[in-house]
Amino acid sequence: MTNALRLLCLAAAVTLGLAAPARAAKDELVIGLTQFPSTFHPSIDSMLAKTYILSMARRPVTAYDPSWTLVCMLCETLPTFENGLAKREKTADGKQGVALTYTLKAGTKWADGRPVTTADVLFTWEVGRHPRSGLSNSELYRRILKVEARDARTFTLHLDRLTFDYNAVNDLHILPAHVEKPRFEAGDAAEYRNRTAFDQDTTNPGLYNGPYRITQVVQGSHVVLEPNAHWAGDKPAFKRIVVKTVENTAALEANLLAGGVDLIAGELGLPLEQAIAFENRADPRFTVTYKPSLVYEHLDVNHSSPILADKRVRQALMHGIDREALSRQLFAGRQQVADANVPPLDWVHTDDLAKYRFDPATAARLLDEAGWKLAGGVRRDAKGQPLTIELATTAGNRSRELVAQVLQAQWRAIGVDVRLKSEPPRIFFGETVTKRKFPHLAMFAWYSAPESVPRSTLHSTMIPAESNGWAGQNYGGYARPGMDKLIDAIEVETDRARRKALWAELQKLYADDLPALPLYFRADAFILPKPLKGVTPTGHQDPSTLWVEGWRWE
Amino acid sequence: MILSRLLQSLAVLLVMSFVVYGLMGLMPGDPIDLMIAADPHLTPEDAERLKALYGLDRPWTERYLRWLAQVAQGEFGYSRLYAKPVWEAMLPALGNTALLMAAALAVALAVALPLGILASLRPGSVFDHAVNLLAFASVSLPTFWVGLMLIVLFAVQLGWLPAGGMETVAAGGGGLGDRLAHLALPVATLALAGIGQYVRQMRAAMIGEAHHDYVRTARAKGCGPARVVLNHQLRNALLPVTTIVALEIGGLFSGALITETVFAWPGMGRLIYESVMGNDFNLALTGLLLATAMTLLGSILADLAYRWLDPRVSLK
Amino acid sequence: MRPATIAAAVLLSALAVLALAAPWIAPAPDALDLMARMAPPSAEHPLGTDELGRDILARLLHGGRVSLAVAGATALLAAVIGTTVGLWAGYHGGRADAVLMRLTDGVMALPLLPLLIVLAAIDPAKLGLEPQAANSEAFAILRIVAIIALVGWTTVARLVRAQTLSVKARDYVRAAVAVGATPGRIMLRHILPNVASPIVVATTLSVGNIILIESALSFLGLGIRPPLASWGNMLTGAMTAVHSAPQLALWPGLAIFVTVLAFNLLGDGLQEALEPRK
Repeated sequence: MTNALRLLCLAAAVTLGLAAPARAAKDELVIGLTQFPSTFHPSIDSMLAKTYILSMARRPVTAYDPSWTLVCMLCETLPTFENGLAKREKTADGKQGVALTYTLKAGTKWADGRPVTTADVLFTWEVGRHPRSGLSNSELYRRILKVEARDARTFTLHLDRLTFDYNAVNDLHILPAHVEKPRFEAGDAAEYRNRTAFDQDTTNPGLYNGPYRITQVVQGSHVVLEPNAHWAGDKPAFKRIVVKTVENTAALEANLLAGGVDLIAGELGLPLEQAIAFENRADPRFTVTYKPSLVYEHLDVNHSSPILADKRVRQALMHGIDREALSRQLFAGRQQVADANVPPLDWVHTDDLAKYRFDPATAARLLDEAGWKLAGGVRRDAKGQPLTIELATTAGNRSRELVAQVLQAQWRAIGVDVRLKSEPPRIFFGETVTKRKFPHLAMFAWYSAPESVPRSTLHSTMIPAESNGWAGQNYGGYARPGMDKLIDAIEVETDRARRKALWAELQKLYADDLPALPLYFRADAFILPKPLKGVTPTGHQDPSTLWVEGWRWE
Repeated sequence: MILSRLLQSLAVLLVMSFVVYGLMGLMPGDPIDLMIAADPHLTPEDAERLKALYGLDRPWTERYLRWLAQVAQGEFGYSRLYAKPVWEAMLPALGNTALLMAAALAVALAVALPLGILASLRPGSVFDHAVNLLAFASVSLPTFWVGLMLIVLFAVQLGWLPAGGMETVAAGGGGLGDRLAHLALPVATLALAGIGQYVRQMRAAMIGEAHHDYVRTARAKGCGPARVVLNHQLRNALLPVTTIVALEIGGLFSGALITETVFAWPGMGRLIYESVMGNDFNLALTGLLLATAMTLLGSILADLAYRWLDPRVSLK
Repeated sequence: MRPATIAAAVLLSALAVLALAAPWIAPAPDALDLMARMAPPSAEHPLGTDELGRDILARLLHGGRVSLAVAGATALLAAVIGTTVGLWAGYHGGRADAVLMRLTDGVMALPLLPLLIVLAAIDPAKLGLEPQAANSEAFAILRIVAIIALVGWTTVARLVRAQTLSVKARDYVRAAVAVGATPGRIMLRHILPNVASPIVVATTLSVGNIILIESALSFLGLGIRPPLASWGNMLTGAMTAVHSAPQLALWPGLAIFVTVLAFNLLGDGLQEALEPRK
């Protein structure tokens, strides 16, 4: 570096020192995130960064809390059959439906002072079910046959089916009719997404009903939130919350160390191994909290591959890898090894199932039985074909790249030749996985809600194909009547005890039959400044910011 | 003459837009495929509905022609990612990038030109060799490595400068000093490579001029103060350097992806990258073509400047 | 020859020998040991181990093999394309020249990185390639070579065209035309030898640049992908640990720096030796 530059740096540093505000009472919080939301409309494009920010400014009707139970956010009481707010009814075509009555919390207001009413709910449903409104997820709105407004705060939803999670309307993001209706009706509904105030007038207070409202958006850089004066709940502690985006995680960590951001959100923060390295340096200013999440890292199996269609090969592969050691050495034991697809924190989780300990001898026996005999370093079948499988994963995800290389080494030791292939997420998710272009295994994660029924990932009707426009997420093409029956049964079983038994059966089947190879449940690492209290990681798709009014600086 | 150059540039742009559109069409998956992968609740009906809504069910050649027809009418359309008119999504990034790149260019020239001139005065001297070696060294480092090292040193270890962003996002930030402090490291990162390049060009141009007859004659006769000779030499040597700088104009509009990523600088490099990766055709094409157009314009300007400054070049 | 040029040439020859001999010097660059992650240098691992307990020296040698092969092949391919375009445009002139040179302008004017990103993300299957071929290691390398060369040929094309224009006017070329030599023969036998030196210089200078471009693509997750080591992806991997284990970034960073610098110095020296007029 030249002298002139050094001088410039020095001069700038001095100016900065003078400009730095005194930090006596901390009433401002800067959160570091690795992603910037592209849109702010709650129902257009699902994006974690958007959910994280909007959860401070808007509340869904219901959500899962940090202990993974369904709670009311904007409603007074969760409707159930016991309290009479939920009623079975027959739909027009004679199917089993349900009527649910919700009452909006008293005093719920948009940040411009207008009350949130059933008129807003009716308008939201109107937008949601409009075929051309451009909402990415309209499943819930299609299920709602009718919305009845009982009074200004009470409404009844008539749903076309009765499922066990019938009263979870987490996807009902109420839109402010007084702001959005004129925009929605201003022209072609297909262009609504380009007219919505959420993107055209993001700082309009009328869009927000949470403890905070968005007051400034600097595209690609940061979003500023300030308290909603009309918020009826607990008064939030911070006068200003800034969510700053730094995409590169090494740079994000530098921002934290240099004081540019106060905390790193676990929902979209540092990769686990980087957070562990951070914790190992024991910076006295911060605590690192790990939250086991329901993000399920696994290897999707292409069931049309003759090699992997054999259950013994799948089981041998499981016995051939030392997931315990991998988790211990790479992730300091922070990521729980998965036996099946349901995380231990979920109440329907069972421990009573087949487990795959690291056991190369058993793996070798199973492979022998399956006809893959050891010849030199690599196993071959009767025709002399080598046992070669390809493992595809996303490039740029450091953890996955490391794990994939470990798996490759361990499988080589039992005579399985593994080729690794990593692709940018854009290609991996846009094509390779969704169109089953991975010949054998694909490593990625599922991110879902608590007690999420694996219909879209395991049911035989959900296998993506040309014929259904490549929809459904049963990417591996797994089809077992037993699994279909269990999924169908769980979905409509409203009795908790019976449902838990069905779930146990499903997990047992999963662990034995291995529709996919389970690896572990990811842990989110929250790096929080010591004085910050009240941040409760959830470990599921409803982020910690849904309870931001409880955050305190002490 | 100028008109024909402009027309040719327009033709180049047209061809480039077709090529870029086609290349993006060859990228796997479309936005809806990505949406499906991100949202497990999305149903087959949703996917079909959304594809039809965005016109993604049409072949790309058809979409390209439609896009071209719209652009011909001055209608650049909406950015799919940001749900805003393309220009509205792009203007803030353009401003940020122009600021960053112009500052980096200015710093690079301010350091490089004097160094190059000094080195050229005594070709072959120790100083000349040292400058030459340093110039080569500064263009031999990966940008992201330089950027992160500067952050580790000046932001984390010394705590003198902020690690990233355009201003302190906390209250009280955003003053001139604050903005300058945030500019320092990314500008240093970008200027480093620029310095290496311009030092060598300035030096080469000066030495090239020194061989010309007018300088030799002037020197041999010992006529006039050295300063006058030097002034003359310098004036002519600046010509090729000006040309090279003019060609950098496009960079003011396309940004520097790596530096912007490392320093969380919301500029054009990132915007174009995001729009390419997010299959936001309108935004990506407009951004790429704007940068291309500006580079082509820059080269025309460079020619003009050359002719204007140097009467020896005839107007063909 | 200047001492710096000689030093650069010696260093690069040594690197080439090491890279070629890598399979014999360090047979197992992928052998990992989870119990010995990020170990400091020892007799067994002279430069220590990386985040999976692999020997850094071994990976550095194998990474160098890949990085140098990619850079060398790319520079050659770009030189071939550039020379062809430049010769054709310069020799034939007229419309061919105008079209080719406007094409060159256009490619030069497009911002480099976004274009590389688009190219890197292209789906080989959509181009009709067999999935088996498309997934091989060799294809992964060829893909990088092809995409960088596709945008990197313009400098050589311009140089060659300018030289061709001046050589074309010389007597011996006119004589060859007069005796009825075919254009192809004239270009290859009479013009090419006379435009060789700028090609050699520009190609040498471009090698270093390509190593840097490969590392930038790795940083964006679009370069050579693990487990195949390249200096670019080793450095990128080390960057996430820059606050905890800065030593990991030292060796690949140094390897890139020294190699790129050596190619630049060599190119500069060659320029002085081959084109003294400048």
